[in-house]
Amino acid sequence: MNRFNTHIIPVAFEYHEPRTIREALELLARWGEDAKILAGGTDLLVQMKMRRVEPKCLINIKGIPELDYIREGPTGVRIGAATRLRRLERSGAIKRLFPALHRAIRWMASVQVRNMATIGGNLCNASPAADTAPPLIVYGARVKLASVSGERTLPVEDFFTGPGQTAMRPGEMLTEIWIPRQPEVTGSAFIKVARTAMDLAKVNVAVALTLKGWSAFNVRIALGSVAPTPMRAREAEAALEGRPPTEDLLRRVGEIASEEIRPITDVRSTAEYRREVTKVIVADALREALGMVRVGGVA
Amino acid sequence: MSAEGRFRFVGVRVGRKDGVLKATGRATYAYDVWLPGMLHGRILKSPYAHAEVRVDATEAERMGAVVLTPRDVPDVLFNPRLVSVEEDTFKDWRVLTDHPRYVGEPVAAVAAASEEAAQRALEAVRLEPVRVYRPLLDPFEATRPGSPAIHERVMRGGAWVDVEDNVACTLEYSEGDVDRALSEADVVIERRFHTNRRYHLQPEPKVAVSRPDPDGGVTVWTTTQTVHNTKILISQVFGIPQSKVRVKKVFLGGGFGSSIHTNLVTLVAVALSRKARRPVRMALTREEDMMHDHVSFEMHMRIRAGAKRNGRLSGAEFENVMDIGAHQIQPYPLLGTALGWFVSLYKWGAIRYFGRAVYTNKVPSCALRGYGNPQVTWAVETVVDELAEELEMDPVEFRLKNYVGKGDLFWGQGPTVKSIIRSDGVPELMRRGAELIGWRNRPRPGEQTGRYRRGIGVARGFHTSGAGGPLSGSVIDYSGAFLKVNEDGSVDYVTALQDHGGGTLDAHAKIIAEELCIPLEKVNVVWSDSSTTVYDVCTHASRGVYVGGEAARRAAREVKRKILEYAVRILNVAVGPEALRMRYDEELKDAVIYVEGSDAQTTLSEVARTAWQRNWGSISASVSFRATAAPPSFTAYFVEVEVDTETGRVRPVRVVAGADIGTVINPELAEGQVQGGFVMGWGWAVLEDTPYNPETGALENMGFITDYKVPTAGDIPPIEDFRVIFADTYEPTGPFGAKGIGEAASNPVAAAVANAIYDAIGIRFYELPITPERILRALRERERQGRESAQERGGGLS
Amino acid sequence: MEPRVIRFRLNGEWVRLSVMPNELLINVLREKLHLTGTKYWCGIGECGGCTVLLDGEPVLSCLTLAVDVDGRKVTTIEGLATGEDDLTPLQRAFIEEGAIQCGFCTPGFILTAQALLRENPNPTEEEIREYVRGNLCRCTGYVSIIRAVKRAASEAVKSRRPGPAAGAASG
Repeated sequence: MNRFNTHIIPVAFEYHEPRTIREALELLARWGEDAKILAGGTDLLVQMKMRRVEPKCLINIKGIPELDYIREGPTGVRIGAATRLRRLERSGAIKRLFPALHRAIRWMASVQVRNMATIGGNLCNASPAADTAPPLIVYGARVKLASVSGERTLPVEDFFTGPGQTAMRPGEMLTEIWIPRQPEVTGSAFIKVARTAMDLAKVNVAVALTLKGWSAFNVRIALGSVAPTPMRAREAEAALEGRPPTEDLLRRVGEIASEEIRPITDVRSTAEYRREVTKVIVADALREALGMVRVGGVA
Repeated sequence: MSAEGRFRFVGVRVGRKDGVLKATGRATYAYDVWLPGMLHGRILKSPYAHAEVRVDATEAERMGAVVLTPRDVPDVLFNPRLVSVEEDTFKDWRVLTDHPRYVGEPVAAVAAASEEAAQRALEAVRLEPVRVYRPLLDPFEATRPGSPAIHERVMRGGAWVDVEDNVACTLEYSEGDVDRALSEADVVIERRFHTNRRYHLQPEPKVAVSRPDPDGGVTVWTTTQTVHNTKILISQVFGIPQSKVRVKKVFLGGGFGSSIHTNLVTLVAVALSRKARRPVRMALTREEDMMHDHVSFEMHMRIRAGAKRNGRLSGAEFENVMDIGAHQIQPYPLLGTALGWFVSLYKWGAIRYFGRAVYTNKVPSCALRGYGNPQVTWAVETVVDELAEELEMDPVEFRLKNYVGKGDLFWGQGPTVKSIIRSDGVPELMRRGAELIGWRNRPRPGEQTGRYRRGIGVARGFHTSGAGGPLSGSVIDYSGAFLKVNEDGSVDYVTALQDHGGGTLDAHAKIIAEELCIPLEKVNVVWSDSSTTVYDVCTHASRGVYVGGEAARRAAREVKRKILEYAVRILNVAVGPEALRMRYDEELKDAVIYVEGSDAQTTLSEVARTAWQRNWGSISASVSFRATAAPPSFTAYFVEVEVDTETGRVRPVRVVAGADIGTVINPELAEGQVQGGFVMGWGWAVLEDTPYNPETGALENMGFITDYKVPTAGDIPPIEDFRVIFADTYEPTGPFGAKGIGEAASNPVAAAVANAIYDAIGIRFYELPITPERILRALRERERQGRESAQERGGGLS
Repeated sequence: MEPRVIRFRLNGEWVRLSVMPNELLINVLREKLHLTGTKYWCGIGECGGCTVLLDGEPVLSCLTLAVDVDGRKVTTIEGLATGEDDLTPLQRAFIEEGAIQCGFCTPGFILTAQALLRENPNPTEEEIREYVRGNLCRCTGYVSIIRAVKRAASEAVKSRRPGPAAGAASG
C-alpha cells in the first residue's frame, strides 16, 4: 500500500521506441519477461503506478506505422494491434460490419481513454471485463502473434487463459486482429451492465446469429466479467442453434447461459447479481440481434 | 425569492468574479503552490487496522531523506476540527502515531528533493508490528464486552476521560411522555436504517505546503475551509504564537466538509518543514486521500413514530448509533445536531432521543455536505411517507400538516442553538412541485406491471444557515469582514471566508455593491490570509451567504456612514449625513450622493479622491459579526425514476427541485448548487459506499476510484426535465433577505429517490445505497414469497 | 534509465527539454513548465481532470509519458486564452452559464468540450453527455456544463451563418 503512488511512475526502466515490428520483436527477444509493451498506456501505466508490474524495459510500439491500420478485404477486416479504439469507433467499416464491436468500443471508458488505448492493448491486458473481447469472440476473430521465430494465429476465444493471462509466449507480440465477414442475414449485439455511464462491466455480453428461414444458426454468445476469462456460453448457443427464436426459447437460453458462467462476488457486484442479470441481458441481446436482421437484413 | 427588480446587483445573473481565472487555468489552488527549494513529502500509512508498531527509518535517513517518526512530533492530543467550545471538544488525535487505529493512519513521514526520491525513502522505512489487534469494523461488535479497546482514554477539553466499550460520546434527550404518546397513537411504525459510508471525492486531494519562516513561524498553503481554525490548531500543536502562523487563502477544489477540519496532512507538512528547515510540499494521491481523514458518518438509526387518525404526529423515539471510525472529528456536536435535524423536520409531539458515537477501526468520519442531515432526513422522510400511507393521507398533505415552519421554534443545530422561524416557503414549494411533476397522477405503489416501472417520490428537508442563536451555546460561529475604499472609489473586500465554488464571495460582492451603489466590477475580493483577516469560524453549515454576507453588509454600511460624513464636507450644505441619499448612476458607473429636492450632489469617486487629496484619511471598516439566528433553508424535491425490474437498474427521469433560500443573490450559481446537490445526493442514494475487507480492515477498493463510482454526465436526467424552482420568500434576518443553500440542496435527495423507487415497485429500502443488486434481490424475494403464498393458497383449496 | 531530450509544440510554441522516460506529461507540464491549469485528480484515468489536447485530441496527461509527445502538438488550458480579452466562446459560455463552481474540473471539461465542438459543431444533448462522460464534476451536477456547451455551439453556428465558408474555427 505504501508503494502505490499515482502521481508518478516510481519505476525505473529502459525505454525503446522501435520503428518496425522486427525491431520490436528483437527487443522482446532480448529482454524477455523483463520487457513490457507500451501501447495506449491506459492499463500498463496504471499497473505500474499500482506496482503490479515493474518492467525493466518498456517497448513503445505506438511509433510503428505497420501496426496502425484498418483494412477491409473480401474475407474480413484486418486491424493493426496498435490501432487506437477511437479510430475503430470512427471507422465506417467497423460500424457497418461489426456493430456489436462498435457499440462495445463506443461505451468503453471515456473519449480520452479511447484516444489513447489500442485494441491490442485491450486484449493483451486480459481483463475478464475487457469490452472488446466478447464481440471479437462472437465474430470469430483471430489474433496474429509474432516473434522473432515466426508468426501464428489463434482464435480470440483461445487467447485468454486467466485474469491478466494470455496464450502469448515469451517473446511474442500481438500484431493483428482479423475479423471475418459475417454471413448475410447475421445479426449481432452488445450489452453492458455497469454502475455508471463510465465504468467497467459488471457483466457484458455479445451475441451473433444468422437467420435461415425462421431459425437461428451460427449462434454465438460470449460473456465478460463472469468468469476468469471472457467466455462462450456454448450450451446456451446449442439450445438456440437451428431453432426458431421464440420468446420462450430466448428466455430459456438466457437461463442456460446464467448456469454456465462462473461469476464471483467482488467490489463491483455480486455473483448472485451477475447470474440474474446474465439471464436478462443474454435474452435482450439476442432480441436486439434478431431485430437487426429483421430490419436491416445484414450484419 | 426572485430578487429581480427589487435590487440592482443582488439577484443579477452575471458571470462569477473568479470565472476568468478558473476558465483559463490561472486560479492557484493549494495543489499548485510551488516554492523554490521545496522538498516533497510522503506519508507512511499504517497497513494495519489496529496495531502497535515500531518504526525503523535508519535506511531512509541514510538515503538523505528527512524523516519524521512518532517520536519527532509534539506529544499533543487534539481534535482537528475546532467548532465546539473547548470544554466540549474531545481530543484523540496525534500528528503521527505508533499506535495506528485504521488502515491508512499516518505513522511516519519522509521528505526528499523529489517525489520519486521521497517515494524510495518511504519504501525504505521499516514498520514492524509489536502487537496487532483484531479490527473492529462494526459499531455493535465494537461495543460488545471483550472487544479490543480502540482508545483507553481521550481528552475532553483539558481533562482525561476513560473510554468505555469503545463509546466515544453519547447524548440523550427527551421531551414529553413518549411511551404514553405512542400507546395512544392510532398508527405506530418502527423502522431501522443503515446508511452508507460515503467519500467526499472532492476534486482536489488534500495537500499542504509549509514554509518555515525566519521568525520561528510558518506560512502554510493548504486545502482548508477555514484559514483561522487551521492557524489556531497549528499554533496549539506546535506551540507557535498565532501571530507567527500565516495560513494563506488559496482556491479550494471542492470542500463538501472534507476540509472542515485541519487535514492531518497539514500538520505533517508543518512538522516536516520545521525539521527540514525548508519548505515541504505534502500532496496526497487520490488513493491516499480516500483512506486519509474524511468520509461521512455511517449511521445506524431506529425510528419509532406514531400518529393519530386526524393526521397529526403524536410521538417519536429516535435512536442513532454512529460509526465514527478511529478518531473524533466532532461527533459530539453531531449527536446534538442529528437530534436537531430530527426534531426540526416535524412536530413529533413527545420525543425521546438516544445518540451514541462509537469508535471502529475505519477511516474517521467528518461532515459531508449536511453533517448527518442527509442520513437523518432519509430515515425521517421514509417513515413519514409510510405513516401517510398507513393513514391513507396524501404524503404531501401529511407533510404540510406536520412540518416545522413559520413561527415555530427551530433548533436545527441542536438543543443549544434555538430560534424562531421567520421565513418559510415550504407550502409553496410542495404545491408548485406537486403540480409540475404531476403528483396527482402518479402511479400507485406496486400497481404497475411490466419490466420498466416508473414512480414519483417526494421528500423535503432543510439546513440551517449557520449555527447562530440568541444564546452563545456550545458552538462557535461568527464571521468578520474588512472593507476599504480606494482612492478612486473602488473598494477592496478582505475576508477569511473561503468560497469552495458555490459563489459565496460573489454573493458578498453583490451585497457590498448593493449597499454602496457601485458596480460589481468596483468590488475587489482580496485573496489574503489568516493574519490580515478578521476571524471567521469556517465555511460550513451553509453559513457563507447568511453570516458572512451579513458581516460584509455591515462593513459596507459602516463604510457608507463614513462616505456620507465626508460627502457632507464636500457638498458644503447645512445638513448632517443622515439627510444624504445614495443611488447608483448607470452612466457614471458610480454611486451618486445627493440631497433630496436639491441639485447638490457628488459621487463616491469624488469623495474618495478628495479624502485622499485633502488628507482626510482612508475610509474603511472592520466588522466582527455573530448571527443571532440560523434560519432554515427549505428544500422539497420531487423525483421520477424508472426501475428496470429485470436488472434492478434505476434511472432518474424527471426532477423538480424546489428551494427556499430567501432572496436569491446568485441565480445561476444557486441553481447550480441545487442541481449539484441533487446529483451528489443521487450518487449517495444509489451508488456510493466504501466497504471494508473484514479480515484486513482495509478499504476494499484500496482507495482507487475505479471502485468508487460517482454520477457522470451520462447518468443525470435530460436537462429540460430537471427543473429548479425557488420560493418567493424573504428572510428578515438575512442580508437582503437571503439564507443559505449548500447543504439543503442535497439533504432530501436520498429520501425522495427511495420514495420514488417505492412508488415504482412497491418495495421500501432501509439500507443505502439502493443498488441494482439490492433492488433485484428484493424483487426476487417478493416473487418467491408470492409464489409460496400462492402455493399455500393452492394447497388449501385442494 | 537515461534522460532524453524532447521537443514539442506547446500551446503554439516549440519547447525543448530533457526528461526521464518515466516522467509523466502531467508532471512535466505542472512542475517543469509551471502550467498548473492541468489538474491531478486520480492519476488512473477515471476523472478527466488532467485532460490535454494531443494533436487536437483529448488525452489524459496522467497516463502519457512525456517522451511520447516528442514532435507533437500539446494544448493545455493555458493555450486557449490568457485572460478576459481573448476567452474562447466556450470559456465565456462556461462562465456565463454558471458551469464553473470550484473550478478544478473546468480546464479538463473545457478542453474536452473544445475537441467535441471541433469534431461536431452542433452536437445534441446526448452527444455532449456521451463525449464528456469521462470528466467528473462534483459541484454542478453537469446541467450547467451541458448548457454551456450547447450555448457555445449555437453561438458558433449563429456567428457562422452570415459568412458562407467560415468553417468550424477552434482547436
